[in-house]
Amino acid sequence: MDIIVCMKWVPDTSEGDLVIDRDGKEIKKDSLDYDMNDWDRFAIEEAVRIKEKLGGTVTAVTVGPDDAEEMLRECLARGADEAFVLSDDSFEGSDSYATAQVLAQFMRNRSYGLILTGTLADDDCAGEFGGLLAAMLGIPASTLVSGIEPDEGKVKFKRELEGGLYEAIEMNLPALLAVATGLNEPRFVSVRAVRKVASIEIPVLGLDDIGLEESKVGAAGARIQIESMVLPPEGEGAEIIKGTAEEAAAKLAEILKEKGGIL
Amino acid sequence: MRQIFVLAEHRKHQLRDTTWEAVAAGRKLAGELGAELTCLLLGSNIDPMTEVLARECPKVIAVDDPRFANFNSEALTKGLGSILKGREPFMLIMGNSNSIIELAPGLSFALDAALATDCFGFEVRDGKPLAWRQMYSYKVNTLVSFKNTENIIVTLRGGFFQFTPTAGASGTVEKLPSPLGDEPLGKRFLNYVEAEKGDVDVASADIIVSLGRGIGDEPDMDVFQSLADTMGGVLACSRPIVDKSLLPKYHQVGTSGVEVKPKVYLALGISGAFQHVGGIKGSPLIVAVNKDPRAPIFRVAQYGIVADLNQVVPVLEEKIKELKR
Repeated sequence: MDIIVCMKWVPDTSEGDLVIDRDGKEIKKDSLDYDMNDWDRFAIEEAVRIKEKLGGTVTAVTVGPDDAEEMLRECLARGADEAFVLSDDSFEGSDSYATAQVLAQFMRNRSYGLILTGTLADDDCAGEFGGLLAAMLGIPASTLVSGIEPDEGKVKFKRELEGGLYEAIEMNLPALLAVATGLNEPRFVSVRAVRKVASIEIPVLGLDDIGLEESKVGAAGARIQIESMVLPPEGEGAEIIKGTAEEAAAKLAEILKEKGGIL
Repeated sequence: MRQIFVLAEHRKHQLRDTTWEAVAAGRKLAGELGAELTCLLLGSNIDPMTEVLARECPKVIAVDDPRFANFNSEALTKGLGSILKGREPFMLIMGNSNSIIELAPGLSFALDAALATDCFGFEVRDGKPLAWRQMYSYKVNTLVSFKNTENIIVTLRGGFFQFTPTAGASGTVEKLPSPLGDEPLGKRFLNYVEAEKGDVDVASADIIVSLGRGIGDEPDMDVFQSLADTMGGVLACSRPIVDKSLLPKYHQVGTSGVEVKPKVYLALGISGAFQHVGGIKGSPLIVAVNKDPRAPIFRVAQYGIVADLNQVVPVLEEKIKELKR
């Protein structure tokens, strides 16, 4: 089965201070490291595992800057067969909707049994992209998916509900599955594995290459517009225990005894 | 005038709490926009649910079809598409549950609506709604507007919209025939699967030592188990720890895992994404240790230490042992 995996190249904002840009509509990203979206790492791993079991090909694709090639190189090292960066100045200001338009157009010229992606992206925290893409392609979609078992024109899987409950689902192929984290253990990618795929060309495709009107992409095609960004006020909430780590730990032990009633 | 709709979410023929949070947000927005509020219920054996909803909403549109019983996103998209066509422009409000995360994007495309997910607040400017949501590891509050279409769909972060029953006023109920045709669905519900039960029940624990991504990639789990033992508690965790197979799923606290109400919740290296925090609301004492002073966990904790937890944990255990003597 041929699988296409949609990847996202995101700034690592999990730790450290973020700074709002001067126009108040974006964060400063120049000093941030970029990496593969965590949820998508599980998606590319799952695609390669399905290929190893059933045969077929794995294609990794992203809408992002040219730098995203580094992420796609890692996908190739993991076992993807080919990779594409979709990049164009006109994509600037895209939301999930406009990004899905770009990828839907890319997919229309290709054959696939399954499209995989992560359920959420760490930057926009929206969880919209996969469902939008599937709707544009007219195929069924699901999210928070694990336990994927493709079988003759259909696929069975589990999807996560709340409180530890899951539902088992059967879906016709082709389909789009947005995966949950933890559905597999992504393999370690060695420097040697990356070097082995260094000669594989990763084409960069623009608006004209995929054949889409400019009015459908970027800020022009978006349905969500950011009006302002603010950091939640600091100092709201916890009383921070001062001192060295050791001193703070000692005070914390007292607090746990007095207020928590432990011991 | 934009009409406001709220989708009633149900599971196993019971209305879910997300429904009432959506009604609360819908009432507020309907008031501010001067719009009419209608609740939509698509389910199976719906009479008891319809009755309860009509006590709280001025209007209920109800559709009974067994194919809606398991909240199948494909059936709902077709059903809602048929009901809301002709009622445009509209604003549809739903919870941000794991079921609706799947429903909302495809529905927004089918209904030609702009979608903002996981919203925690709204503003009205020039008669138009704007939504507050979070971005960048849930650390930045972002105000978004909607464009290129008049229809709007929003999903709500749990716990941010308080519902108050209005006791009694009976709304009108309009029962519509099922808009679903005979064509088979591409997505089929098979059955529910309950989570594996473990040897530790974190839901009933009084003292919880909970571990997050900040404990590192190759942590010495014995150190944390030892601290939990010394405190007389159990180990729990956030999602990344289960994803890395460091603890089994039944240790996971949060909306996708177990909801807990211990007397003491010690969060080590947990950033505090809302999915996790949703599972610890109601714990009387939450204490957090994290390197990142901006970590959202410090907004729900009463006490915090900004430090490398590897330096804190051994000293903490030692001090607790001393205090015990």
